[in-house]
Amino acid sequence: MERHPHTTDARGFNYMANSDQEEKDRDYVGIILALVIMTIITVCQYNGLL
Amino acid sequence: MSQTPYIYEDRRRSFLSCCYSFQEVLPGLLAMFFIAIFSNNLAGVPNPFTLENLFHYLDAVVGPINGQPLFQILNSNFVWNPFLLGLIIGNVFGVHDSWKRGLSYIHKLMPLGIIMLAPHFVFSHATKAGWAMILFALVIMVLTAQFTILLGRRMGVDDRHAGDIAGALATGDPHVTAILMPMLKAKGGQVINALACVLLFGLIASFLLPLIGRLVGMQDEAFGLLSILGIGNTGQMYNAAFGYSAAAGRWAHYLEPVRHVIMPAGFLYVFFVLFLRSRFNPDDQEIHATRPHKAVPLFVLIFILCWIIAQFHVFKEPAHLAIFEMVKWDFSLAAAALGLSLPLREIAQWGLRGFALTCVAGAVRIVVLVAAIMAAVHFNWLTF
Repeated sequence: MERHPHTTDARGFNYMANSDQEEKDRDYVGIILALVIMTIITVCQYNGLL
Repeated sequence: MSQTPYIYEDRRRSFLSCCYSFQEVLPGLLAMFFIAIFSNNLAGVPNPFTLENLFHYLDAVVGPINGQPLFQILNSNFVWNPFLLGLIIGNVFGVHDSWKRGLSYIHKLMPLGIIMLAPHFVFSHATKAGWAMILFALVIMVLTAQFTILLGRRMGVDDRHAGDIAGALATGDPHVTAILMPMLKAKGGQVINALACVLLFGLIASFLLPLIGRLVGMQDEAFGLLSILGIGNTGQMYNAAFGYSAAAGRWAHYLEPVRHVIMPAGFLYVFFVLFLRSRFNPDDQEIHATRPHKAVPLFVLIFILCWIIAQFHVFKEPAHLAIFEMVKWDFSLAAAALGLSLPLREIAQWGLRGFALTCVAGAVRIVVLVAAIMAAVHFNWLTF
């Protein structure tokens, strides 16, 4: 398969490819970060820290 | 040195394995970071040498057009600026292999940013205009999205590309193309091609709309509504409205939250229509949009949940503003990675068919809107 010059490295890792278990894991990380950031900011607001 | 082919499952220990090692991701994260901080004025970074400030300077040199900064009409913002810089760097210098692990964080940043957008859309911000107005905007949005999807199919436009255009056109925000990217599984070239189509159509429409308004003799408030619901981005809406009259421009400012708060309904509608279509037609080779999703992605469900919670004013000010500053950071980093990923030919390869689709769907929407608004005003269905 032709290697995409912008997104694929020598080992065949394509950074724009996103599928299967790797996609689910990335989604989990994104979701957890989003909830953590929103919760911290909101809790700070309710405690007068913002 | 021999290179072992990359297989994620071979190295997976837990879901955190997708973060890779610090040494692997650092160069790519730094590339995104520096593109982001030289593109936008981001919270916590006192860097004056940004593309955003350059555009502000050029805005001041050129002077306002219908009271609007030129680069607002051309869509300069926290997504477009780092994308542009990434695109230039990627196409001029290429993308070093060592960056690529870090750049893959775009796939964490997209769900992260989409969820954090939820507090931005609160219905009560628009209720001053009345529920009749919100309902009217919602109907027009759904009709636009559905018509664009159907027309895209008739015109032979790839459904991911047409879905992106439908979402951006219906919601009046070109950046919805980026929000829909992980939902529809659209390709980067399709996303940017769709964004360019909606922007270009909006640019043309924003100068033509005042002529149409004068031709049919629209009232200022009715024209304000027409510009809010009929054009591609916020700067272009105000360009059209203030190009008509100062009063129409003020009405456009008053009515703009109506379009804004229902925006998630627009991109969720496009997603669910295309998702159900792909579920009901598993063997149709012409259907690509959402195909890789076996179920509704979890981040979409979490976004909907947060959007509902936001309606109860859980995210008060200034927490909402602080969260939005994080969204700017997030999309700045993600857009940098997207820009780096795209050779120009991958944007051009989707051709002009998307632009034709945008123009036809956009023009039909304007005609329907003019008739609907004039009828609504005449029969007092809408009051301003």
